[in-house]
Amino acid sequence: MNSDLEKQLRDALRPIDPPAGFATRVSERTQRRRWPRGRLPMHPHWLPTALAASVLAALVLGYGWQVHRERQGLQARQQLIEALRLTGEKLDLAYRGVRDAARPADDAGA
Amino acid sequence: MCDSLARARSGDASAFTELVRRHQRAVYSLALRMLTDPHQAEDVAQEVFIRLHRKLTRVQSDAHLVFWLRQVTTRLAIDRLRREPRHELLPLEEDPGIAGDSADGDPLLQRHLRALIARLPPAARAVVLLRYQEDLDPTDIAEVLQMPVNTVKSHLKRSLASLREMLGRPGGIIAVAERP
Repeated sequence: MNSDLEKQLRDALRPIDPPAGFATRVSERTQRRRWPRGRLPMHPHWLPTALAASVLAALVLGYGWQVHRERQGLQARQQLIEALRLTGEKLDLAYRGVRDAARPADDAGA
Repeated sequence: MCDSLARARSGDASAFTELVRRHQRAVYSLALRMLTDPHQAEDVAQEVFIRLHRKLTRVQSDAHLVFWLRQVTTRLAIDRLRREPRHELLPLEEDPGIAGDSADGDPLLQRHLRALIARLPPAARAVVLLRYQEDLDPTDIAEVLQMPVNTVKSHLKRSLASLREMLGRPGGIIAVAERP
């Protein structure tokens, strides 16, 4: 009886084909996954080139930024020197004014 | 390793399609008999081949490919049954296996048996399908389903007893067909 049931099960469970076009639908899905949103596929040999270009761009940007910062520092230094020079001139002028104002009184006393 | 597997592994799209055509019948049948819904079955079968496409380089031989397809199909189907348990119930009139009726035997009995198999719990159903649809022995089934051989044997024994009991019931076929 067991072998009868087993034979009936084998008969009932014969494999059946999927709906027509199944393999094509699978292929379409694999193609879509490979090249998402219509982009061109990137060939693996592009990867080292892209990586090298990224590193080079980062170096150039870093160097440019450093030059910019040095230039800013130099300008600030020149402005400070100019401000000190002007302050010195003003102090010198004030000192002379005070000295000239005090001189006639000294002369009158003499 | 067969030629189309080797070519598919090296990125040949037409070779991959050839592999799909060669194995689609087995994968789809397993998914259909597990899920009992042709749309869900096609969805799972497509997902199996999409995963195969992604992991093709890990497939070492034709035997490994067949094993991998069976394992992933049953795993995906069981996961889906656990997420959507409503697919476990199948009225006889919705039996999707009409096209699979064998020329040998009684078509009504075959449909009835498929409806009864669809009522088994997912793991037991997978064991019965791998045994009688894929013709695997308990050791191979245990490997595919990653369960102890004794559990496989126990599932088989209990499932056969349950099927026999339902078939032997007075008016069994009618009773199952008219199940609410």
